[in-house]
Amino acid sequence: MNSQGGPPLPPSGELINVPEFEAAARAVLPTGVFATLAGGNRAPFERMTFRQKLMVDGTGIDLSTELFGERMFAPTIIGPVSAQNAYHAQGELETARGAAAAKTIMVVSSRSSRSVEAIAAETDAALWFQVYSDEGLAARSAIHRAVGAGVKAVCITVNDPSASDRRAFGPPRVDWDAVNRIADGAGVPVIVKGVLAPEDAERATRHGMQGIVVSDHGAGAPGRVAGAPIDVLPDIAAAAGDRLAVLIDGGFRRGTDILKALALGARAVLLARPIMWGLAAYGAAGVAAVLFLLHNELARSMVAAGRPAVALIDRALVRIHTR
Amino acid sequence: MGKSERHWRNGISRRQALAGLATFLAGSPVLRAQQDPFPLAGHRRVPGFSEMTSAYDFEPVFRANVSRAVYDYTARGTDSEFTLRRNREAFDWVDLVGGKQIAPDTVDTSLEMFGERLATPIMLAPTARQRPLHPDGELGMYEAATAAQSAMIVSHASSFPFDRIAEAARGPLWFQFYPRPDRELSRQILHDAQNAGCRAVVVTIDQTASAYERALHNRHLGGEPRTIERPSAEDLGNPYGISSGRLWYEWSYLADIRPMIAVPMLAKGILTGEGALRCVDIGFDGIVVSNHGGRALDYGPSTLEVLAEVVDAVGGRVPVLIDSGFRRGRDVLKALALGADAVCLGRVPRWGLGAYGVPGAQRVLEIVQAELVQAMAALGRPTLAALDRTAVRTEFP
Ligand SMILES: Cc1cc2nc3c(=O)[nH]c(=O)nc-3n(C[C@H](O)[C@H](O)[C@H](O)COP(=O)(O)O)c2cc1C
Repeated sequence: MNSQGGPPLPPSGELINVPEFEAAARAVLPTGVFATLAGGNRAPFERMTFRQKLMVDGTGIDLSTELFGERMFAPTIIGPVSAQNAYHAQGELETARGAAAAKTIMVVSSRSSRSVEAIAAETDAALWFQVYSDEGLAARSAIHRAVGAGVKAVCITVNDPSASDRRAFGPPRVDWDAVNRIADGAGVPVIVKGVLAPEDAERATRHGMQGIVVSDHGAGAPGRVAGAPIDVLPDIAAAAGDRLAVLIDGGFRRGTDILKALALGARAVLLARPIMWGLAAYGAAGVAAVLFLLHNELARSMVAAGRPAVALIDRALVRIHTR
Repeated sequence: MGKSERHWRNGISRRQALAGLATFLAGSPVLRAQQDPFPLAGHRRVPGFSEMTSAYDFEPVFRANVSRAVYDYTARGTDSEFTLRRNREAFDWVDLVGGKQIAPDTVDTSLEMFGERLATPIMLAPTARQRPLHPDGELGMYEAATAAQSAMIVSHASSFPFDRIAEAARGPLWFQFYPRPDRELSRQILHDAQNAGCRAVVVTIDQTASAYERALHNRHLGGEPRTIERPSAEDLGNPYGISSGRLWYEWSYLADIRPMIAVPMLAKGILTGEGALRCVDIGFDGIVVSNHGGRALDYGPSTLEVLAEVVDAVGGRVPVLIDSGFRRGRDVLKALALGADAVCLGRVPRWGLGAYGVPGAQRVLEIVQAELVQAMAALGRPTLAALDRTAVRTEFP
């Protein structure tokens, strides 16, 4: 039995990769609900191969990394997803339990189905809080409340237009006035999510942001030739320099995907749909299992690539092919 | 896959539909790289030995003979199998440049390596556990290799002990070694292999951490569901669930074992010029460009696309061998033209042995050898020495 009372699923420990969790979620969710979690642009990852170093001692394999002065178990973060009660009766509470089991930061959406206080009460995991840049004053008070509940950072989502807007107006730019009005006085590190242009990385630093998430909000259509977050990451990381923590999301399904992002300049990767697949099929255990598999794949690839620590992952590891 | 092959595959045919259905039912979503463009799997009749005309013909027969787990162990690659597929795709990025056709019986494929004359540059890559393929296991494989005049590299993880295999036939026999942290144990293993008559030692240095996740698909085939055993973090020494047996590899170990090996010593698993140079500096006598047949690092490059880089870095100081994805004589020819001295086949002889035992392994080797002769004749290259980069045009992505 699965958490939704649907068809029987194998125990979560038997699934061996993230795509299998996608299939499990498809089996348990109503078609329309599953559709909100479908997709992800794999094409850019298929154009990147590794150049490995051999005979590097990997016995001390270590995925941990530091962000905003805190040690993270691994360079992965559960990204913000609204209204998670669509995927599991316990919604965000269950995700938060899984996050704690996997020692992973969870970003709580301002449009969550449970209050940030209730979620915080449920978990040892560090929480971040996410609002939208067009929520104005409401976002400010929501942040205030979330910081009171103990969240460690705030994420302001910008540029979440529909795909058709994107086609009409080209790469989206950030409305910095709106961001500043919300970020002002947050009291915790502020991260802007939705950056796709190097100039906006520079501006983020100038406006006092501590981080950005390179993201197209999962909109990337399969087969798009360029312009996916991972494609623009190298230029954005170069523009950001050391002053800004560059994070990324969009289509990450494999440990090797994460390794590529780290090599191209990201400090950590946000995962949304894969986590929701785990949540839908197995609740907290599924959330933890998805993260376990990704960490396992990442650790194996880091050893095989001859970079057994995050600090050793360098640009030379990834070769980008023209097709 | 060539253009016409792709066209054929994309066209609607009953045979393809059946093959597709069989694949779907078997629950293996990613079989493209393994599949013959003309899969026999869609037929109900198992073809006979005399009907075997290419290496691919043996694969479905082998598959029909063995259990799912045994098949998967041979067929599968690491994780998403990107590298497994890319190994095959890479042959499409190399075109042969035609010359003046010569008679096949004027072609000579022999070569000298480490002071020995070899009849063919096509060798048997070391592959583990051959007894599940056929009761004769490595004994039969060595017999077949000798009959086909191909040199065989015996895996460190063989089903039979090396000294027994060495007695089964008389052809050139090499030993493949997996590093052991204990230097004395290493010395013992290397001594025993040389004592038994191995003419070279191949040290495999890739595959420090990998899993063939596809092989885990042998669940849900009836009976109790099987939960995958995940050893504890304490047992492994890391919280990520990766087995720690080969994580300790470091360059100094290779320098330590160099004096323990009196015969030529080769490093297997090299994919970069730097890596090859480092091995030459340590004193290796040969390089094997390999990604372990797509079983080491997923999203690593195909071996064919990095071959020229390694050959150029080595600059002729030691022989460069290659494996991973080779199925046809034309594949072999492309690597030889790009500078490889020899080509090793991993899965191909396993298909042969698993399909028809010793005669199958012998036949499949002879088929690929004959294809190489045909291809050299078609390009007008009578010897391996006459085969250089002018025989190919490359367009790697
Ligand atoms: C079933 C199987 C077992 C293998 N076992 C070993 C082994 O024990 N030692 C080793 O060095 N390589 C091993 N390999 C890798 C092969 O030596 C070789 O690199 C690879 O199979 C070549 O690719 P191909 O199978 O596409 O020809 C194995 C490969 C397969 C398919």
